[in-house]
Amino acid sequence: MFKAVINAETLRDAMEAVSSLVDEVKFSITEKGLEIKAVDPANVAMVSLKIGADAFEYFKTTPLEIGVDLVRLNDVLSMADRGENVQLELDEENHKLRIGVGSLSYTLSLIDPTAIRKEPRIPDLDLPAHVTLPGGELRRAIKAAEKVSDHVILGVSDDEFYMEAKGDIDSLRLKIPSTELLGLKPGEARSLFSLDYLEDMSKSLGKAQEVTLEMGIDYPLRVNFKVGQAIEVNYLLAPRIEQE
Amino acid sequence: MIGPKVKGITPPEIFVGRHGYPMVRAGPVVPLAPDAEKPKQPSLGMNMGEIISLRASAVRSEARVGVMEAESPGKLLESFQEIAMSSTPVGTEVSFLKPPKPKLNFDGVAAPSGPSGEIKSLEITTNPAVPRKVDEAVEEREGASIAVGELYNAGVGVDHISRLISLGLLGKERKLVPTRWSITASDDMLGKAMIESIVDAPLIGDYLLYSGEGLGNHFEILLTPRPYSFELVEIWMPGSAWAPEGWIVSDREDNTGKKGYSPLAGGYYAARLAALEYLAQAGRQAGILAVREVSRSYWAPLGVWVVRDAARQSMIARPCKFDSPKAALDEIEKRISTPVGKWLPKASLLTRPVQKSLSEFI
Repeated sequence: MFKAVINAETLRDAMEAVSSLVDEVKFSITEKGLEIKAVDPANVAMVSLKIGADAFEYFKTTPLEIGVDLVRLNDVLSMADRGENVQLELDEENHKLRIGVGSLSYTLSLIDPTAIRKEPRIPDLDLPAHVTLPGGELRRAIKAAEKVSDHVILGVSDDEFYMEAKGDIDSLRLKIPSTELLGLKPGEARSLFSLDYLEDMSKSLGKAQEVTLEMGIDYPLRVNFKVGQAIEVNYLLAPRIEQE
Repeated sequence: MIGPKVKGITPPEIFVGRHGYPMVRAGPVVPLAPDAEKPKQPSLGMNMGEIISLRASAVRSEARVGVMEAESPGKLLESFQEIAMSSTPVGTEVSFLKPPKPKLNFDGVAAPSGPSGEIKSLEITTNPAVPRKVDEAVEEREGASIAVGELYNAGVGVDHISRLISLGLLGKERKLVPTRWSITASDDMLGKAMIESIVDAPLIGDYLLYSGEGLGNHFEILLTPRPYSFELVEIWMPGSAWAPEGWIVSDREDNTGKKGYSPLAGGYYAARLAALEYLAQAGRQAGILAVREVSRSYWAPLGVWVVRDAARQSMIARPCKFDSPKAALDEIEKRISTPVGKWLPKASLLTRPVQKSLSEFI
């Protein structure tokens, strides 16, 4: 059994962090809360999301897994007003999730969790450099880089975080010294990333007050941030590598 | 002169037009060769003239139908669907309201089409041979891309699959799809399924260069030891079908997928499919650079089947192995008329940064 009540806006923001990368996911639900781990079809970007039980107004469950079509779930959630709560209740027998929004009640057909792309193995990475900055600032930088190229270098040198995008015609360089960052752990870091993916991620991280980037040399990027108070989002993005 | 009644054997081929969509013209194409047991089909082994005269003497019968009628077809559309499901030629007798007038139309994706006439009545005179797998796919109503993959794996040909798509026989929602779109749709769906099957496969070991040619379409296909990507460079030499002045165009995708429809149209998906068929079968992945040089001897567009077959023909030839891209490019330089310096700037596969996959860091 699974029965929960949560603020619509909170759930919508949480789902947005995931649906920018994948359409179908498995919800792993335990008494601790709801967890999603998913990788995009190209195996380039991974997202893991945890909604702690205390982020819910009401939460009662036995451990279970359900498969959800996020496009359809988001459709339903978009009907809710800002302050409104949504009620979720699993109808195990019919493989449906009942969603109550105000006086509206939807039934969402669930997907067989075994038909969903397997949960990824999460690489165990040692990423030396850490940078913390406001999500809005990072989002703006990603937007600027997109105007110039389709990929961008992220790196840390001495006491600053930098971004470089080189297009056929224009180029862009952004430097933020440690004094203007919310946090910096210096280390050797310089890797190239696809802006398509960063742009997808920026929709969600742009709203976060603090975003931490963990980087290495020609190595994946880890992005950690919180949606609201109790939802943790974690992205991992594989780099692009320059040809010799 | 063509009479008001045509008796013949359709290969089978059903044409679904796109003008007036969602009210379109559709019907079987019946060659004017009443005695032939098996109608001749265009192939790379014929010359341009033979193919064009073959198409000019195949009558396209037509009836106006709404694309949504595929779900619960009337008697006429139902017989079109029966013909489309057959894997072997089907005897067909058509009476026309007016005798069809000779004409010939060219299209970028579909094969040229000949005279057309409006159907008064139609009769199927031999039993369509429907493979069991096709019957099942039509009954089961699975998602189109799943059905397409299963049919292909069961040995059903790409032409047959696109015919089923076109007649609204696959997928959850059934509607007619104009022939031109259905050809690209089947190449694209099959290609995507193959990409998914190879993205975690090991890379090939060397640079492998394949080449082949048919009807003035020369292919050089270079497989490189990199994660999956596909790039097609088309060199239209002066005087070739679409290009009185000649031009060079290119398009590409990498392992993060393709957004939108390729500006190179159906030929992009057909060439991609041919290369992917090879990789999927070998269980390997590679970065694919395909160069298609179209010479003046391809003076009229005959449809993307030419691209698919010429690329497939290249992929079954024995490849040359190289240990660097430079050596492979030197070899391509010898085999096509256009110098490397002219087309390479349009290609970015060999220079752009490679997208790594997360599994490489586990």
